[in-house]
Parts: sequence; C-alpha cells; structure tokens
Amino acid sequence: MNISQLQIGLFIPCYIDQFYPQVGIATLELLQKLGLDVHYPPEQTCCGQPMANSGSEKEAIPTYKNFIRNFSPFDYVVSPSGSCVYHVREYYNILEQTDEVKKVRKNTFELCEFIVDILKMDDLKIEYPHKVGIHQSCHGLRGLKLGTSSELVAERSSKVHRLLEKAKGIEIIGLDREDECCGFGGTFSVFQPDVSVGMGKDRLNDHLRNGAEIITATDMSCLMHLEGIARRKKQNIKAVHIAEILNSNRL
Amino acid sequence: MDRDKILQAIRENKAKTTPLPKFFGSLAEKQDTGLINRFKDILQQVGGDCFEINGAEELNSFMEEHFPGATDFRKKETWKEFPPDCPKEKLAQLKTVVLGGQFGVAENGAVWLDETRFPNRLVPFIAEELVVCLNAKEIVCDMHEAYSKSGKNTTGFGVFISGPSKTADIEQNLVFGAHGAKKIVIVLY
Amino acid sequence: MTGHAHKAGQFLKNSERAAWHDETLWIVRRKRDKMARAVPEWESLREQASQIKQHTLSELDNYLVQFDGQAQKNGAQVHWAGDAARFNEIVSGIIKKNNATKVVKSKSMLTEECGLNPFLEKQGIEVTDTDLGERIIQFRKEPPSHIVMPAIHLKKEEIGELFHEKLHTEEGNFDPTYLTAAARLHLRQKFLEAEVAITGVNFAVAETGAVVVCTNEGNADMGVHAAPVQIHCVGIEKMIPRMDDLGVFIRLLARSATGQPITTYTSHYMGPKPGGQMHIVIVDNGRSEHLGKENYRNALKCIRCGACMNTCPVYRRSGGHSYGSVIPGPIGSILAPHSHIKNYNDLPFASSLCGSCSDVCPVKIDIHDQLYRWRQDLSEKKRVSPGKRHTMKMAGKILAGSKMYDFSGKMARWGIKNLPRKLVYNRLNVWGKERELPEVPKESFKQWYKRTRQGKGGENGQG
Repeated sequence: MNISQLQIGLFIPCYIDQFYPQVGIATLELLQKLGLDVHYPPEQTCCGQPMANSGSEKEAIPTYKNFIRNFSPFDYVVSPSGSCVYHVREYYNILEQTDEVKKVRKNTFELCEFIVDILKMDDLKIEYPHKVGIHQSCHGLRGLKLGTSSELVAERSSKVHRLLEKAKGIEIIGLDREDECCGFGGTFSVFQPDVSVGMGKDRLNDHLRNGAEIITATDMSCLMHLEGIARRKKQNIKAVHIAEILNSNRL
Repeated sequence: MDRDKILQAIRENKAKTTPLPKFFGSLAEKQDTGLINRFKDILQQVGGDCFEINGAEELNSFMEEHFPGATDFRKKETWKEFPPDCPKEKLAQLKTVVLGGQFGVAENGAVWLDETRFPNRLVPFIAEELVVCLNAKEIVCDMHEAYSKSGKNTTGFGVFISGPSKTADIEQNLVFGAHGAKKIVIVLY
Repeated sequence: MTGHAHKAGQFLKNSERAAWHDETLWIVRRKRDKMARAVPEWESLREQASQIKQHTLSELDNYLVQFDGQAQKNGAQVHWAGDAARFNEIVSGIIKKNNATKVVKSKSMLTEECGLNPFLEKQGIEVTDTDLGERIIQFRKEPPSHIVMPAIHLKKEEIGELFHEKLHTEEGNFDPTYLTAAARLHLRQKFLEAEVAITGVNFAVAETGAVVVCTNEGNADMGVHAAPVQIHCVGIEKMIPRMDDLGVFIRLLARSATGQPITTYTSHYMGPKPGGQMHIVIVDNGRSEHLGKENYRNALKCIRCGACMNTCPVYRRSGGHSYGSVIPGPIGSILAPHSHIKNYNDLPFASSLCGSCSDVCPVKIDIHDQLYRWRQDLSEKKRVSPGKRHTMKMAGKILAGSKMYDFSGKMARWGIKNLPRKLVYNRLNVWGKERELPEVPKESFKQWYKRTRQGKGGENGQG
C-alpha cells in the first residue's frame, strides 16, 4: 500500500477545536510526518455524540449528515478521539445506509488504531522520559477494542501501550484499577455532577498514588474532566493527549 | 385463564426462532489427570475438609476412629430410626451425619446427593456437620460432565453441595454455618 | 437534579462511607475476575449461555408448556399469574387453603417486584425472610440495595445494634460470627415452625420440570424441606430447555455473582416430599410484553447475578437505594422503565455508558446499548425535562453547520476568557463546582489552520 497516495480526512472533535487546538495540531503534524496526505475539511463541526448520548439522536441527524458530507471524499478519516470514532462507526446506523455512509463508517479511525492497524507501525521513534499513566478511555477501549478490557478473559493487548512502550525513557506506571471509567460521560458530567466528580477524583488518585506525572488518553474529553479536577485541587499532574506524546519528537 | 393469555401474548411477541446451540464440549478429554488433587484444592478453598484413605476396606475403621457417634445414613438401621415422617424436632438434634456421596466435581469441590442417600430431605441441611464418603474414581471434571451423570436423576430431589453453609452478608465477612452444616468433610476412598 | 442524581449526591456526602461501599463492591468484581480467568473457555461459555437464552425466549411458549406438563407429572401443582396482583392472590390463596399463618421465604426478587410481603402481612400472615441479608433489611423495614447482597450498604456495627434490639444479642458485640450464630438460632426456630416455605427460582428446566435454587446459606432448603407446603415463584423468562444446559449456567452464575466456583447448595426440586405439597407459580407481570420489544428483548436473558452492579462505577458510588427501583444498577436501569416509565425515566441517564456492565454480563446482555436506546425512546416520548429537550434542539441546530458552530465556539471561549471568574463560576455552572473549565487558547484549531495552511493548497483544505 502506497500510503502517500491515500487521501486522509482529519476530523477534529468540537471541544478539541475550541479548547485544545494543540491536540489537533499534533495529530496533523504526526500524520504528515508519517508520510500521509492530510486534508482538513473546513466545514466540519461535530460528530453529534453529545446530543445523541443525551437522547436527541434525531436532532443530531443534520450534524451526522454534515460529517458524512465533509468526509466522504476521503480514503480514511482519522481523529484524535476514540469516542467520536466509536459514535460514527456504531451509531450512524440510523442514517440511511447509502454507499457514502457505509464508506465513511467503515473507514473512520481513531489515531492509535490507524497507526497500528492500517499503517502497521508501533515504533514511532519517540523519546518521552516521563512517568506516564495511561487512562484507557472507555469508548476506545470497550467500543473500538483498542485494548482488552479487564472484564474479558482473553489474551491481553493494547494498541496505546504498544505505541508508548517503545518510547525512550518512558515509564508506564501500573494502576490499581486498570480501566475504570473517569466519569466524564458527556452530559453525564453535568447531569450527575457528584458521581462524575467522585469518579474523576478516584481516577486521578489512582494515577497519583502510583507515581504518574503525566496522564495520557485517546480522548481529550476524559482528560479535560480529569485535568479540570486536578487544577482545582492543585494536584501535581499534567494531562497530555496521546497525539501530543506520539508527535513529541522523532529520534 | 391466565395461562392461555400469557401463552398467547408470548406467541404474538416472541422473536423469530434462533437455534439451540449444540452441547458445550467438556474439557474432560483434556483434563483427566489431577482431578482428585483439583477437587481437594477447591474443596479446601471453599471451606471444606478432605481426607484420603486407601480403599473402601479402610473406610469403616476410619469412620469409627474419626467420627464416633455420628449418625450414619449409609446404614439401613439409621433409616429405620429416622423414617420419612420423622418429626422435625428429632432431626434438629442431628449433630454429625454420614452420607454416601454419588460423585464429585473437580472444578468446584461439590458432591452430588439425591434422595436415595437420606430418608428425609432435611438431613443434609439440618445437621451441624456433614461427612460425605466418596469414591475418588467418581470425581468428574466439570459441571457439564456432572449433569450428564445427574441429569437423568429421577428422584424428587437432588443437590450439589460444595463446602459448608456460609454467608458474607455482614460486611463481607465470611462466616460458616449460616443455616446448613457448619462443617463438611469429604472422605475419599 | 433528578431522582437518582440527587440521591447519589446525598450518598456521596459521607465520602468515607461512600469510598468503603465502592471498594467493597470493587473487591467482589475482582473476585469475579479471578474466578473467570481460571476458566479458559469463559468467553465461549458466555456465548453459549447467551444463545441458549435467546433460543429459549424465541420458543418460550413451547418450553413453558413442556415445563408445566413435566412439573405436574412430578406431582407439583402449577399455577399461572398474569400480573402481580394475581400472583399475590394465588400465593395467599395457597397459604390460606392450608390454614397457615407462618411463612418463611428465601431470596426472590420476583416477590419484591410483586410486593408479596406487605400483601401477606396485611392478611395477618407472618412472613420471615430467611436469607441473612434479607432478614437484616426486613428488620430495618427497607428494600434490598443489591439483588445478591441485600445488606451490602450496612456496616457490622449497624447490624450489631439491630440484632441487639431485635434478637437481644449483647450490646456492643459486632463480631460477624457471633451475630450470624444468633441469626442461625433465631431463624432455625422459624424454619421449624413454618407451615409454608416460599422460594424464588434461579432456573426452571422444561425437559424435566425441575426447579433449581442456588444458595450459600441453605435457607431455601431448610425452609422447603421442613415446611409441609412449598411454593416456588418463577418469572416466565427463567426457563431453560434441558438439564444439560444447567451445566453452562451453574458454571457462570456464582463466578459472576460473588467470585465463587459454585454456591454451597445447588438444589433441584423435582417433586413434593412424601405427604407434602409442591406449588409452582409462573409469573408474567409485563414480561410477555417486554418480549415484543426488539431493542430491549435481550434484557430478559438476565440470570440475576448482580455482576453488572459490582462493576458499575456509578452503582458503587451511589448505592442501590439511589435508583428507587426493585432492581438497581445497570440491569435495573433498563428493566425499570418498562414497568413504570414515569418513575424511572432518569435511570438510563444514571450512567457514563462505559460499557463495563456488558463485558461482565454472563449472558451477554447489551446493557450499555439498551441504556443508549432508552435515552432516545425517553426523549421521543418527551420523558426528559423540557429544559434538556430545548438545549438539545438548539445544539442540534448549532452543530449542523459550521457558521453557527464557529460563532458559538468563539462566543463561549470569549466568555470564559474575559468574563470575571465569579460570573463564570456561578451557581449555575455545574461543571465549575469542583472542576476548572479548560484554559482558553488564543485561537481554535480551525482558526490556526486557516491562518497557517489555507491558501497553500486547494479548496478542500489541503495543507
């Protein structure tokens, strides 16, 4: 497969666009470093998940259609967000399944799975001398099967771990609860604030207890929630999206 | 009639038939060694005790030595003493009871007992301590094998017993002897 | 805040106790993991169980008829109850016909669902729940907070005080062995005096008419074999085809529920004792209607193991009583709205949709999908708050096209950056109660891209 001939559509989730552009920039730069021809359709907005998860799937259909319209020209759609990608692959099933829709659903990938499964790479020659805790965002983990969830009795593997473990100087810390949810859950974070924050605090403490300096994940939404708590409590831990780590430098 | 209404509602609402999968293959072929050891290990883990003796000949002397005064339901005389219509209060006096187990299950330390083993169904539950004599050759690998043995049971009652009665309902503290036997001993011969 | 969210907030106020509750249930989840991993074919077992249940539900009428016939051949009397009221009538009818006033009952969520205890008590019938956890909550006059460990929300000190009051145990003695021994004596008396014993049913086998009950305590058996009359209550969905199928379910049940290889007692009731009566009451109470709902049908596969509760990060941090439903937790949240959509319309939202429940479910119910599906149906049926509906309509319009989206984003960022902190972190800012909002960047990704890349390539944003 000649990857330089692939047309890649870059989908930047709405909250990354608005609040964490550096994650989008890192994703774009990384994909280009890997030799890909990356396009950013400027009229993209959102995947529609926040509305759909709140029960307003029907109201989200125009947003779904906007996504399909923007991304149907591409061979692959890549995004630094497990939950958005999961939503497109699973829940765009309510759209009429035209060839266009089917193509987009099939070819939308989260960044890590795209690198490991499509580009067939797991050594990005990065140097990252830090103690890193990997937060395995739920939609990516259980939805996209980026890794083996702890509930399952199966051979254990994780695409995110694979991409990070070869980084020079990195120490990936072990957690007491391998893959418990951080508690963001979209609008859950405001409709069930006490449980949401309780879960977030517990997640952070697990990382802190085990010595993490950096928490990384495939989803900025989880990190936004965890970072929000950490900053309020003035805890000494930084949230860095996986795209930024993978793009950090090339040895 | 409720029965007809319910069945009618089900017929109208049920999904298209999906097939019943074929029998789950037992791992028995792959695991016929070490069954006795596995049985003993798990039995211990679930709070039961196990003694291994050399053959049926030694059984009676062993029982006399370790459980003198036990009410032995392997003997027909005992059945006469505790007939099926025996008052509950008399059964409630049972302390140590000896039963003949039919077979054991290695994956969970359970023994199978049906109505041919006791004259009254309360016996295995009301006694303070259970002693079950089991032929070690009659230990099967798992529940699939177990049900192929017990499934054709035609008596009105049968039970798998694994370890002593227990509860963890008080702050997850494990306590033996909630209502049934506080202790169970399997004597393998 | 709605029912569950509010109650969860209350639960979490005692943070130490909430942490204890969370850790206690997490330990049970870990026990399950350990047990499951010792069974290499675990995932195949789950698939088998799922298919057996799916098949059974697709032929449920035939299996029920087969079961009915076999059970009667065994000497049992079989009754059918269309709803809870009929069920209560049938059970109380059997009790009264036998001139009984003392009843013992082992665990049955079905009887909770139908409100059997209060119904019988109103008629002067004494019902003693004999599972230790259930007896504790019966004394306290509260519902179970977990379907397998009903008193999991209580500490031993509270139980010690309760037993001191009700059973006259020593004041200040909270030793679990001591307390359990006291309960054993007390309940043994009840077993010996009981005239009727009622049980739930874990599995009903069509092939043989057998009723299977799994307990650790032995309380179902003590009751059933001591009392002259035994009544087994079974929901229609508890049918399984053959005795051999039990092998699959018995291997999955206790491992999933409590992390044991099997419960202490797995009892197979096939016929009455000599001189005794055996009754089986088959109950519908909305199940046949549920069977017709394609998106939710799978929930009827449930074997009531409670594994979903143990793994649910929300359940562990809010407790079973926060749900207000007979069955709490993930499975409860997809079952309850069928019976009373108004009372339980917030339950499908009491979840972050993490999917852990679906992964532990021994019969592979797609719980997280059904939670998502319920949210859509509740919205459509206008069972979500008008405020929420309006917000979502607005969001739908804004996110459908880039012009509105870009503008709104710009406004939000300007607001967070420039408005005084007090205004931004006001009481309405639910996020901001315990979290900082994200720091506002100089420009959005889109703005950065336009500034640095646009014009260097074609219309479709080639950089």
